[in-house]
Amino acid sequence: MAGAGGGNDIQWCFSQVKGAVDDDVAEADIISTVEFNHSGELLATGDKGGRVVIFQQEQENKIQSHSRGEYNVYSTFQSHEPEFDYLKSLEIEEKINKIRWLPQKNAAQFLLSTNDKTIKLWKISERDKRPEGYNLKEEDGRYRDPTTVTTLRVPVFRPMDLMVEASPRRIFANAHTYHINSISINSDYETYLSADDLRINLWHLEITDRSFNIVDIKPANMEELTEVITAAEFHPNSCNTFVYSSSKGTIRLCDMRASALCDRHSKLFEEPEDPSNRSFFSEIISSISDVKFSHSGRYMMTRDYLSVKIWDLNMENRPVETYQVHEYLRSKLCSLYENDCIFDKFECCWNGSDSVVMTGSYNNFFRMFDRNTKRDITLEASRENNKPRTVLKPRKVCASGKRKKDEISVDSLDFNKKILHTAWHPKENIIAVATTNNLYIFQDKGN
Amino acid sequence: MEFKLEAHRIVSISLGKIYNSRVQRGGIKLHKNLLVSLVLRSARQVYLSDPCPGLYLAGPAGTPAVAPPQQPGEPVAGPPPGWGDPPPPAGPAAWPEPEPQPQQHDGPGAESAESVVAVAEDAVMGAEAAAAWSRVERPRGAVTVEGSDVIPEGPRAGESQSVAPPAVCPRKRGAAGVGGGRTGCAMPGSTPLKKPRRNLEEQPAGGEEEGEEEMETGNVANLISIFGSSFSGLLRKSPGGGREEEEADEGGPEAAEPGQICCDKPVLRDMNPWSTAIVAF
Repeated sequence: MAGAGGGNDIQWCFSQVKGAVDDDVAEADIISTVEFNHSGELLATGDKGGRVVIFQQEQENKIQSHSRGEYNVYSTFQSHEPEFDYLKSLEIEEKINKIRWLPQKNAAQFLLSTNDKTIKLWKISERDKRPEGYNLKEEDGRYRDPTTVTTLRVPVFRPMDLMVEASPRRIFANAHTYHINSISINSDYETYLSADDLRINLWHLEITDRSFNIVDIKPANMEELTEVITAAEFHPNSCNTFVYSSSKGTIRLCDMRASALCDRHSKLFEEPEDPSNRSFFSEIISSISDVKFSHSGRYMMTRDYLSVKIWDLNMENRPVETYQVHEYLRSKLCSLYENDCIFDKFECCWNGSDSVVMTGSYNNFFRMFDRNTKRDITLEASRENNKPRTVLKPRKVCASGKRKKDEISVDSLDFNKKILHTAWHPKENIIAVATTNNLYIFQDKGN
Repeated sequence: MEFKLEAHRIVSISLGKIYNSRVQRGGIKLHKNLLVSLVLRSARQVYLSDPCPGLYLAGPAGTPAVAPPQQPGEPVAGPPPGWGDPPPPAGPAAWPEPEPQPQQHDGPGAESAESVVAVAEDAVMGAEAAAAWSRVERPRGAVTVEGSDVIPEGPRAGESQSVAPPAVCPRKRGAAGVGGGRTGCAMPGSTPLKKPRRNLEEQPAGGEEEGEEEMETGNVANLISIFGSSFSGLLRKSPGGGREEEEADEGGPEAAEPGQICCDKPVLRDMNPWSTAIVAF
């Protein structure tokens, strides 16, 4: 499988795992989003308890540069708290739905984090010096008796242990009636969009008291509702273009130059349904759970329940590539409907060169598809392979019939172990894979 | 036959999910409930289109006297009564407009819950009933038109829902109108709504386009018995009391005399508590 360097097969190795070891998972620890920043130096996770944990990659040690630096905890903070909307008698979950990093402009880092209703802009800054030598204060902060001060000195900055502080700089609230599913920062780095089930709003990062509604698919009569917005993203290069996906498996590309309200799409991407695959659950499994532009901006990738599709923005009537993630589940849809697994929202991601795409599955499996070689691989995120630099063994699921050695039968898959969130370092072959409450980091062996 | 059982099972599971979604933390998830309601609709369509006369169980003793239905599986004329669609033109039943009922709504609330509820009702009713229901449903849905945007609500909306019987006079609510819900919302053709809805009507592929026969009202009692005792308590209660009872009451006789309802028609009397129960969701 070609990596960012091209040509050679990547061998993925275990690098690190973060999180509690016990099988008994506290609900608050369930990871709900994973995102690298633009340089890949920082890796942020959000969880159901409303916390954000940021890991920082150690600077490479030039002498022993066997592998790229490890990720260690850099900052942890409580981003969102549970709230109660008294007017509507509704509890608002603190779960972090998405984190998106802003590109770095100065020494501080900025990220947007959102729960169902409120988006917050956080500033993460380092403090590694502090003033010492005050005249009126002791070093521990106690005030000195002014009468004992006989000389004056100028306080100076002295180094201190690094302290990383996170502070909320903006709070963007009260703009969404429904649950926010996406945020996306515009390539102008001044505006961003937030999308809920029926509406998309455009914000300016500096302005919290208003936002512009740019898409509204709420019908006048809610009984006529047939689809909802499931994900939205700005184009990586064109600041006027964004896409949003729907529960019906369509993607609409909108151009904000065309009109203020982008209810009319500029392009509609839809693949006709295969009638032979029709079942009770056809509609559910065609619902798109994630949409991601390629870094180049030429393609976009969508994830529905069973497959990953790559679309060329210039061709609306069908995807250019389709990859089956776990087709063996097609015959199990009824059971998956009963246990609610069919509603799981898997995300997907591109590698830095747009040559490989990755997405998660069940049993803590995750899948990668190489677009050039058309090869795919299934790997498992498990503590069993947790020696650093252990090459991960490819896994295989046996759909039916004779199970070969080392294969796993569909019926023995653990549907509680799902990988919904994955992220790929923007430049290197380093991936972050979130199981229920653990974060795995894998790197390629060759360096 | 097995399709019918499968469809029935899926309908039960779906209703259970809608029910449980009330108490989920974070409020009713519009997306999930929409998907569940779509499954419910598909299952209902299959259930109705699978010709299997033997399936209908004998109603319990208290089954209201309703004329035995047409044979199940008879093809229907016209498109299936959809969610919020105008009644099929060939619908033989000509229900009088349900009497106006004051609707106690603190606010439009629970828009999605209502819509989902509407489909849930569709799932259990005959086409003729559905014809009437689509007129009845729409007003309830139309309630949402007037209101400001409200999140789909949890238990609170459920309460207000149970208080209000479903047969609300549409005229009070205006915009969506009676029997022509679609006309009330002339959206530009390029919005997602029209297209998917048309698709929905033209679907399901699988040969059921002709198969969406009118539902027979007499099936309602049968369906209620089929769905079993977990909903029995709902049938006994008046709309006002429906909600409190539904959790407490399981296992009562299915066909207990329905509670107070707004309409005199015997068939509607059967259906209203049922839909009230679902409305309570």
